Amino acid sequence: MTELARERIDPTTRIGKSELKNFVIAASGCYNRGAEFGRVTDVSAYGAITLKSVTLQPRLGNGMPRVLPAPAGLLNAIGLQGPGIEHFLAHDAPHLREVQTAVIASVAGFSVAEFAEVAARMDGLPNVVAIELDVSCPNVDREGECFAANPESTADVVRAVKARVRLPVIAKLTPNVTDVKPIARAAESAGADAISLINAVRGMAIDVARSQPWLANVSGGLTGPAIRPIAVLAVWEAAQAVRIPIIGMGGIETGRDALEFVLAGASAVAIGTANFRNPDVAALVADALVDAAAERGLTSVRALVGSANPSFAGERSH
Amino acid sequence: MITRRECVAPGFWCVGFRAPRIAGAVRAAQYVAIDQPGRFAVRLPLGIWTAEGDEITVLFREWGERTAQLAHSDIGTAVDLIGPLGNDFTIPARGARATIVAGGLGVVPFWLLGKRLLAADVQTRVVLGARTAALLVGAAELRALGLNVELCTDDGTAGTRGSVLDALDSEPPADIVYGCGPPNMLRALSKRCVAANMPCEISMEETFGCSMGTCWGCVVPVRRGAKQGSGYPKAHAESRDFDYSRVCFDGTVYAAADLVWSA
Repeated sequence: MTELARERIDPTTRIGKSELKNFVIAASGCYNRGAEFGRVTDVSAYGAITLKSVTLQPRLGNGMPRVLPAPAGLLNAIGLQGPGIEHFLAHDAPHLREVQTAVIASVAGFSVAEFAEVAARMDGLPNVVAIELDVSCPNVDREGECFAANPESTADVVRAVKARVRLPVIAKLTPNVTDVKPIARAAESAGADAISLINAVRGMAIDVARSQPWLANVSGGLTGPAIRPIAVLAVWEAAQAVRIPIIGMGGIETGRDALEFVLAGASAVAIGTANFRNPDVAALVADALVDAAAERGLTSVRALVGSANPSFAGERSH
Repeated sequence: MITRRECVAPGFWCVGFRAPRIAGAVRAAQYVAIDQPGRFAVRLPLGIWTAEGDEITVLFREWGERTAQLAHSDIGTAVDLIGPLGNDFTIPARGARATIVAGGLGVVPFWLLGKRLLAADVQTRVVLGARTAALLVGAAELRALGLNVELCTDDGTAGTRGSVLDALDSEPPADIVYGCGPPNMLRALSKRCVAANMPCEISMEETFGCSMGTCWGCVVPVRRGAKQGSGYPKAHAESRDFDYSRVCFDGTVYAAADLVWSA
């Protein structure tokens, strides 16, 4: 096995019909929705950035406190504070043209109809190459059960959205289930072009001085390196269950972390919380994946996908 | 790089960093986001206390794991800082009268502000309070700048017995009031200044997540239409009629008249 020159390695990946210039995506919630990209960091190092989720109606979000640093993680319950689709289209969407990389629009909803409506209005916005569905929200039509906790609900959302949009659709799955495989399969059968996982892991903390929950919302989602092994396993198992591309995420801070996900079967990786610690993390991870391919004598990063996973069900590239 | 570290009161630490660019650019109420080695997922944000030459200092209470690690770091340790971050206070015209009201560690933004006000020929009065004498920090440094500092403590162990707000009654109103400290003190100060139609600016504190304005974890309620608010429309089914503003990115300084305390 000879090490290849870095320039000869193909760093690209595909999500459905959309090609990304590299494997590294900014996860939803860490770069707002448009107007403020690029002020702190150069987002062009990313293969794509995912917008903060947009809902049909404006949302004030949860009360305070909303965040608490946890061991190797961040516990948060923001509550989807956001402008709603109308305000987003009028004020944020025009700025998407200025973003120096591909954009993935993230949609959150509390009913199947809301997902379909918002996704349809995101389809065709400048630079937007895919639509991610934050199906970890509670479903008001099913007594507040999380969409992504149930294969049928997940499939309902994907099917309704696919009927309304032309862009590739990504279903973002939750780790807060006994088995992620049937849910991944349901998303695939309903027509999802890719799945992304994992969303935050549910958790809480108690303020012992005040004898009360720390977060105003009581429970929150844990992100950061603390959840990485949970995420790697979810990607590993999902990669054995579906053929569509998987975007792996959960606690990635370094190239080595990202490589774990790729070897488990992820065709792209997303970085969330680590952006807050290291604004240059995207370039670092993208370069490290190219180096990993070069060290193994491979001509593309894609050739690494699933190579540690003997039951990898996706498409292998050589 | 950490240049010094000193325990200034029980549990209170002053840590210095060599940071020439930040020291040259910093304004009052700004902060740095500190990357720490080890099992921390986000940076530790701390308000900048002093800035002289190539050095800045932060003054903080040892409270959790992150502050404990910083308090006990070795001098010479390399540290990655992002900053200065956040907005700053309004400086009034030459000859104006300003009152600074600080509770406990709320003194942090006022070394830089005091210095700036003195340079701008603003007549500045500082009222610094704490629960007890042992928790009064920063007075000596403010006095060393040439500021007139009045002390008060809840238990009377230093200065006047009573709250910083009582001290406001003893003098004619100022052209502008600056406040930083515990939430109850800020709520009372804010309401009082708004009722008296006195300009007042407050530096707010919340637990930050990202320290860069993107996670929306550190919001404070502001009146709808405030320029530091999100500007998002009101939700149809929403009974709460205020907006949220990000302390880390839109603040930390707010006009008292924009803050909503009943939320």
